[in-house]
Amino acid sequence: MPATAAWLASTEALLNRNIADSARAAALAQRLQGADLQLDIEGLGSIRATVIGGRLALLAAQDFPPAAAHAAISGSPRALLQLLQGGGAKRDPALAAAQIRGDAEIAQLYRELFVLARPDAEEELSRILGDLPARKIMQLAGGVLAWVRGAGRTAGENIAEYLQEESRDVVAKPELDEFLRGVDEAREAADRIEARLAGLEKRLRSS
Amino acid sequence: MRPIQGDAMSNSDRKVDFGFEKVERGDKAARVASVFDSVAGKYDVMNDLMSFGVHRLWKLFTLSLTGLRAGQRALDVAGGSGDLAAGMLRQVGKSGCVVLSDVSPKMLELGRDRLLDKGLAGNSQYVLADAERLPFKNDSFDCLTIGFGLRNVTDKAAALKSMHRVLKPGGQLLVLEFSTPTAPGLKPLYDAYSFKVLPLLGRLVADDAASYRYLAESIRMHPNQETLLEMLRSAGFAYARYHNLTGGIVAVHRGYKI
Repeated sequence: MPATAAWLASTEALLNRNIADSARAAALAQRLQGADLQLDIEGLGSIRATVIGGRLALLAAQDFPPAAAHAAISGSPRALLQLLQGGGAKRDPALAAAQIRGDAEIAQLYRELFVLARPDAEEELSRILGDLPARKIMQLAGGVLAWVRGAGRTAGENIAEYLQEESRDVVAKPELDEFLRGVDEAREAADRIEARLAGLEKRLRSS
Repeated sequence: MRPIQGDAMSNSDRKVDFGFEKVERGDKAARVASVFDSVAGKYDVMNDLMSFGVHRLWKLFTLSLTGLRAGQRALDVAGGSGDLAAGMLRQVGKSGCVVLSDVSPKMLELGRDRLLDKGLAGNSQYVLADAERLPFKNDSFDCLTIGFGLRNVTDKAAALKSMHRVLKPGGQLLVLEFSTPTAPGLKPLYDAYSFKVLPLLGRLVADDAASYRYLAESIRMHPNQETLLEMLRSAGFAYARYHNLTGGIVAVHRGYKI
């Protein structure tokens, strides 16, 4: 039997710390005692969550007990992550790909538990570095992220402008709209002519 | 897979491993205690030298798995210099309690002094005890740790059963111990380091090559990851699993009392 990955143990420890810090999460964990949830992650394998002595345990496939889980959720990593982070299908259609089997109430309670135990990056960093450095690092990271997003958006706009205005490889939106409006007008004119011709033809036949 | 038994036996049930040596079953605990009494003074500096400081990360990882909360009770079996006990004392807070136990009086004294020097007092207790016969009531602790101690125990199966007995239902046992390297190409290097460098370091720093030769030998005689996992299950631990650290040089085995 292979070893269980250390990252799974670290994730479990992180979630358990956050569960202990939340009265609601601790109560949910007590309620879920003995109930299993299996997460089938497309392309990555399966993980089973169970609660033992009020603590969450994340088991790798080789550690699964023989009995089937009470509930199972399957889907892509992105869909499962967003589902467990509190996203809904209305917010992201990709979540429709996540499927729930078995006891839906247990699946829902586990989902709520994961949402409540969701780690906060700044809080986790502050445990290691202290509050002030963690705040500064997160502000810096936020600034870098905003700059990267802004730079990406600007680069996209510049490339689009070049392709539309300079190289003329791509048609600009106003021109496209103008073209489509012209097509619509031509179609309407053709329809009117067709109707008029049909009317004339009918009149000739009757005379 | 090796058969599951109390300890590797020689020709008769009376003989057990003490490193590569065979000694009388009744003599092993005293021999182990004398080894640790001998190295106690240089224990910390030798740990840092031998592991290049990585033992601190192994212990941090183990502590991250305890799941202990304020007010809970924990036991550090074969606690030595008290590294794991110190971490658990911070986790359980003033309202909790951590018991540090060891079979070596000098190691226990060292552990107590270190915890006191760190200001960790009031919620800690110290017990000179053999892991095979833990002197505590049934269902006493929320978490048990044994760090680099199980391989020195004469009857490991009895020790695991004793630890299972004193755990509360839902409680967790964490066994941090040297194991069998699994990373490709690591074993020859590790063997050379263990049998050539460790005794030399022991001689130069602690003036005790024999004790550090015993350390290397006892690691080789210790059950591998899979065997120890089966031993945990046989002792009654549920959801038993293990995590390899540093390519399998060290493994953390864990199991719950249900």
